Amino acid sequence: MTAPTTSTRPTVAVPPATAAGPARPVRRRRDRVAVIVLHVVLVVGLLVMVGPFLWMALSSFKPEAEIWRVPATWWPERFTLANYRELFGRLDFPTYFFNSALVATLVTVGNLVFCSAVGYALTKLRFPGRRALFGLVLSSVMVPSMVTFVPLFVLIANLGLTNTYAALVLPFLAGALGAFLMRQFMFSIPDELIESARVDGAGELRIFVRIVLPLCRPALAALGILTFLANWNSFIWPLVVATTEDKYTLPVALALYSVGQNQTKFGLLLAGSVVVVLPVVVVFIVLQRHFVRGIATTGLK
Amino acid sequence: MTAVAPDAGTRGGRLGPRLRRAVVGWGFALPFTALFVVFLAGPVLASLLMSFTDLRSADVRNPFAVNVVGLDNYLRLFDDELFVRAAVNTALFVLLGVPLTMVAGLAAALGLNSGLTRLRGMFRVGYYLPVVTSIVAVAVVWRFLLQPDSGLVNSVLRLVGLDGPNWLGRTDLALPSLIVMAAWRNLGYQMVIFLAGLQAIPQHLYEAARIDGATRWQQFRYVTLPSLRPTLLFVGVIATIGYLQFFEEPLVMTRGGPLNSTLSVSYHIYNQFGFGNYGYASAMSYVLFVAIVGLSILWFRLLRSGEEVSR
Amino acid sequence: MKAWRRPGAAVLLAAVLTVTGCGRDEGAGQEAAAPVAEGKATGDITVWAMGTEGEKLSVLAADFMKENPDAKVNVTPIPWDGAHDKLATAIAGKQTPDVSLIGTTWMGEFAKTGGLDPTPADLIRKEDFYEGAWNTTVVDGTSYGVPWYVETRLFYVNKAVAARAGITTAPKTWEEFKSAIAAFKSKGGAKWGVNLQPPGSTIGSWQSVMPFVWQNGGEVARDGAFTLDSPQATEAYAYYRSFFVEGLAPKDLAQGALEPAFLKGEIAAFPSGPWHIGVLREQGGADRFELWQMPGRKSATSFVGGGDLAVFKDAKNRDGAWKFVAYLSRPDVQTKWYQTVSDLPAVKKGWDDPALSGDPLLSAFGRQLEDAKSPPAIATWEQVAAAIDGEVEKMAKAGAAPEDAAKAMQQRATSIGTGV
Repeated sequence: MTAPTTSTRPTVAVPPATAAGPARPVRRRRDRVAVIVLHVVLVVGLLVMVGPFLWMALSSFKPEAEIWRVPATWWPERFTLANYRELFGRLDFPTYFFNSALVATLVTVGNLVFCSAVGYALTKLRFPGRRALFGLVLSSVMVPSMVTFVPLFVLIANLGLTNTYAALVLPFLAGALGAFLMRQFMFSIPDELIESARVDGAGELRIFVRIVLPLCRPALAALGILTFLANWNSFIWPLVVATTEDKYTLPVALALYSVGQNQTKFGLLLAGSVVVVLPVVVVFIVLQRHFVRGIATTGLK
Repeated sequence: MTAVAPDAGTRGGRLGPRLRRAVVGWGFALPFTALFVVFLAGPVLASLLMSFTDLRSADVRNPFAVNVVGLDNYLRLFDDELFVRAAVNTALFVLLGVPLTMVAGLAAALGLNSGLTRLRGMFRVGYYLPVVTSIVAVAVVWRFLLQPDSGLVNSVLRLVGLDGPNWLGRTDLALPSLIVMAAWRNLGYQMVIFLAGLQAIPQHLYEAARIDGATRWQQFRYVTLPSLRPTLLFVGVIATIGYLQFFEEPLVMTRGGPLNSTLSVSYHIYNQFGFGNYGYASAMSYVLFVAIVGLSILWFRLLRSGEEVSR
Repeated sequence: MKAWRRPGAAVLLAAVLTVTGCGRDEGAGQEAAAPVAEGKATGDITVWAMGTEGEKLSVLAADFMKENPDAKVNVTPIPWDGAHDKLATAIAGKQTPDVSLIGTTWMGEFAKTGGLDPTPADLIRKEDFYEGAWNTTVVDGTSYGVPWYVETRLFYVNKAVAARAGITTAPKTWEEFKSAIAAFKSKGGAKWGVNLQPPGSTIGSWQSVMPFVWQNGGEVARDGAFTLDSPQATEAYAYYRSFFVEGLAPKDLAQGALEPAFLKGEIAAFPSGPWHIGVLREQGGADRFELWQMPGRKSATSFVGGGDLAVFKDAKNRDGAWKFVAYLSRPDVQTKWYQTVSDLPAVKKGWDDPALSGDPLLSAFGRQLEDAKSPPAIATWEQVAAAIDGEVEKMAKAGAAPEDAAKAMQQRATSIGTGV
């Protein structure tokens, strides 16, 4: 993977909606010590952060008994593909992957659209009911999600939506967390920018799409990453609303044979974890490139 | 049902600026609000009603054939020995876990945002990996790390001549161990939000500070921190919610033990739902909700001025 | 969007209106089962089954459909993880299949919802099944399902340790058992004589405790009231506790550590079900262990678990569902099921096949099934079990007195109630 080449200190204000400024990494002499110290700290941190993930990935190639060896081994002594072979052999993998990708993508796109729109309304538009709406959004972020589980299922059942993609997607399209996140980020967009566009005669929709959204790239990327992850990994809700196998998502399918009534097959479980984690990592790698400075916040004075 | 009906402004019938603002505002807010009211506010309301009844899983086919018990469920909580224990544990999770995770997440974001490393893409992915790794796999690894005899942690301690304890087996150490694990696991999540937030800080502020001869620390203290207030507010609230609903780590690592020393309120709620005591579990959830609201108000008080500054 | 907003609002409105005017109907009592029509099964039959059972059930379903050409069985496999929630919500939303596999200890809870159909006596004969297994389906005197497969617990014993300790025959009494375990440690070279599911790190330590209570003539409940503090039960707790106090059993054990430690001889014995035969084989211990029946006092009772099949009240094809269940309970089908997934037959005649009765390890489990019990099928069992686990942990780890544990268990269980 390549490091994104974005400047930390762009100097000119260019019109919105273009990518970040030219690359000009900081390389001042007095920074050298700082660079070395920082890298030592970051690398040590990286080992601590990545170690368990590496162990998981390596152990998915071990037979069951070696996974539990004490003291634990890093590299598989007896390298085996048996866990993966069993996983792919027993599961209709393309179906589950498709379901997961479809659901997570729809929910993510929906959240990006709806949450940024409501975030814009909550910060930059004055309308009656605004405070009440924010209060409602914020308080529902705080309600433990377990509590709504059964009522939500009864609702879905009464709407006749069990075992449909709608049941997997609709309840999560408008996430209160996302609305809160977008609202917080939109505070940093200067009101002057929007006012001047209004003076120029731009409609609110145009301002939102052409000015606000491009400025929100980092926030949208963060929201996209977090929403995709949450929905990709979601287990209990898809399990409950899907009543036939062809609507199962990947985490549901992966749980089928690893956890038994009286015993757990950890080899299968680790292999499943590796399989399910890879797409999320790809999404992260793609989206994290958008953590670049919005133009207005760098150029506007 | 809720107080969000878009009726305000229609009184006059003229398309005045007030009405126009209402139409535009709700135009942006409506798609979200519609979905939100049906799929979130609705079930929330239903569950709130549930908390005033003695609804159990045995009643689910006739949910209306239950007794309304008023505040009984809420009052019972204070006699529930396990709930009180869980409340104390949860308070500790929040007090220790929130600052630890926020400081670590912000430090990681600052390090990766400093412009001092070209490898930040790689670091970002690495620091984010614990967030995406399945909790079950994480639990297996951490149990290995914390094993009293052969675990990595105690092996390192032995190198410096210390005899490491049984981290997860002792009632006084299990809880701090889980907090460290949770901070490790959630750091990447907060890092992502901080990274996005840092991009929103106007660059000219730093330039002005540098011209004034500000050190890195002074830039952080007087530019970064104040400008980051809306982000800090979000992360603070989310972290507080996360630790108040702390649940997965004790579930997979200790099952609330030893001797309930890591039982959290959320875990207790999860158990009560599992046992089918829906009314009681709902009441407990709303007590937790009130605690979350209370702490969030503190966060808003602490950081509210930040919103005005950046507006 | 409007189309589904309106019913949503209606549901909520109904909830608001009705919640004010609700109240419990008292007493349901015994329920009579309706008869099942004669003849072959017809129509679609939807079935849920967990894990491997769900995957392999289609084999038996195919045979069934050959005998009943007008019937179509659709099996959906469900992960065990989350299966309880799925069943509970399905009953709440009236979205159940026709038949489902149900864990034996969940029967009380689900039967109490009124979501399960009573077992038709004209189709299923109680006498065909092991008594302990059948009792898992009986709630308030009515049977709401059929045992499908069973498991019971024996002691797995490391042969080499037993030989070093000079123990050549399985102990018959509590006293003999205790001294054998002590010998494993003192003479056999084991670090721990036995592993008794240390509470906390594993759930369900009650599964190790309750057999001692039953062996001593105690019960979980009698005539609808808990008897967890009876003298018999208290004495059994003291016996269980003594293994921890005397340092014969570990107070905590990491997940996955049991099998390697057992094969190395560090842990000399542990109680478990038939699945451990396969686990130990996989880890290279095929002929390094032997099986002991439960030791006796007033009886030599073990725990019986497994899975039951239940038909739902909201089933769309009730007759077909019961016919399929009856088919799965046929002795030859039970034997075939063992050959397919290694699940032990709940039907006694299913054991007649030499694959089962001729296998020395399996037939040991078969013998124990004649004297095996399950906790009563009450709606609150999972919660009572958690309370028992909590008090057992205090005994094993903090050394709480058996009398105090008994009192606390009884008090907590009584305040939870039996869900009547």
